[in-house]
Amino acid sequence: MNRIAISDVRKTFQLKPGQSVVIDGHASDRIPVLSGVDLDIRKGEFITLVGPSGSGKSVLLDIIAGLTEPSSGFAAIDGHKVTRPHQETAYVFQQYALFPWRTALQNVEYPLEVRGVGRAARRVKAQHFLSLFGLTGFEDRYPSQLSGGMQQRVAIARALSTDPEVLLMDEPFAALDAQTRDILQSELLRIWEQIKTTVVFVTHSIDEAIFLADRIVVMTARPARVKESIDVDLPRPRDIEIRNSAAFNAYRARVWDALREEVRKAQQDWALASAYNA
Amino acid sequence: MTLATDKSTDVPPRLWWNRPAFLPSPSTLRQAIHTIGLGLPALLVLALLWEVAPRLGWINAIFFPPLSQVLAALGDMIASGLLARHIGISLERAAVGFLLAVVVAIPLGLLMGRYSLFEKLSDFLVQTLRNTSQFALLPVFILVLGIGEASKIAITFYAAVFFLLINTIVGVKSVDPLHIKAARSMGTSDWDLFRKVILPSAVPSIVAGARLGVKSSLFSVIAAEMLAAQSGIGYLIQNASLMLETDRMYAGILTLTVIGFLLNYALVAFEAQATRWRASEDKGLA
Repeated sequence: MNRIAISDVRKTFQLKPGQSVVIDGHASDRIPVLSGVDLDIRKGEFITLVGPSGSGKSVLLDIIAGLTEPSSGFAAIDGHKVTRPHQETAYVFQQYALFPWRTALQNVEYPLEVRGVGRAARRVKAQHFLSLFGLTGFEDRYPSQLSGGMQQRVAIARALSTDPEVLLMDEPFAALDAQTRDILQSELLRIWEQIKTTVVFVTHSIDEAIFLADRIVVMTARPARVKESIDVDLPRPRDIEIRNSAAFNAYRARVWDALREEVRKAQQDWALASAYNA
Repeated sequence: MTLATDKSTDVPPRLWWNRPAFLPSPSTLRQAIHTIGLGLPALLVLALLWEVAPRLGWINAIFFPPLSQVLAALGDMIASGLLARHIGISLERAAVGFLLAVVVAIPLGLLMGRYSLFEKLSDFLVQTLRNTSQFALLPVFILVLGIGEASKIAITFYAAVFFLLINTIVGVKSVDPLHIKAARSMGTSDWDLFRKVILPSAVPSIVAGARLGVKSSLFSVIAAEMLAAQSGIGYLIQNASLMLETDRMYAGILTLTVIGFLLNYALVAFEAQATRWRASEDKGLA
């Protein structure tokens, strides 16, 4: 059964007066970012979304999250069109987006609080999710008193605290150092194996995309469509050592093959834009 | 799973014990002792000069009674309860006006900062009023409200309200858009967004405005009491001056200095406590 259905989603941004870009040799004050994205995501599936920079992957997440409306087409969760933030969706951002005036525990409690969960119940729940990420003992620290990796763990705990059906992650580990990134990937998989929620995970790292995913969705350069869907048939639970296997290497080559042309186009696109502005 | 985690830079900042913000950290304390140690001699020289100069006839002792005489007068005023009564009256007036300003300015500032139409409608009016001195308006307050408590409260209100208003607006506007986006993604209602995201984001700026507002309120009430009052520390100073009781006059001035010092310390401590979630100075200590 499909949890998320994305049907012919298009998104065009209107630039501010006076700004313009060149598209196929014509000046325009409108930027098409998504041009007909079709994607069905099964219940419990772990999808990673890769594509060149500026290809609208984050916009697609915003549309699934109900934070941005598509210009045409729709995203649906369990058959219902998304028009505003859905109770069963949670979103994790690259820059953590923790509330700095709340402690780790209070941050994880936040989504439960706005849903009207009682004080005692939300405390228990928040402590549970913090302990899942090994953050017991750090409940009363403010985000400024935590490391980057711990902050992102808190942010993921916050996202999971409402037992979401859909977890959207926008390059959540991109701001972390390589070792922390490896650790968090494994932690995320370990917890996901238990809860099996549906995940849409945007990343620029091909290794990360392969390591995490059931299926990798490669996007084209802007305006983006789905270029290719690659099923990742690696055994689970996955160990970090799997990245040295021949099978993993084969996927690496395949994803890079699909991406190469798009990255080149995206770079040309930017070169053109900057030449025009100069 | 084995990982080389020792190279990771991902470690939390080290914390000392959970020190309440009103207590100074060891480094601040060392610094304070250092500052006082270096600064104290100049103050002592001034005190000595104040004591000696009138006694030796360098300056007129009627206008500048020796420090010891001033302190003796201060002692009498404390012992008789006179000083406490007038301080209480002045602080009460300042507090009432200031609290009124808080009640008016914070909701208004939240609206002005959040809704640009509201700001456009009111900004010009606010800018005009803000640039009219509360001291210039004192005769107006007295004419309209009389020389009683109402005119004093009006001037302290006026003295504080714009600091609070402007800083609330700035605080609201500096809300991180990512925090709003995150809150929205978690299904936050408009009302909760105001209460749980925008207001706490604005707190550091509001508290900084409050600190300026409190001082401004206190200074204004002193000035108002000098012009038209039968009580308060401003009246005490002005009255002693008219009676040529200069020792009592200086005792009143010294009292104000001490109140200013204490108030400033209390406000700085309050500010630190209200914004203790910000990256603390402990962070740098290893």
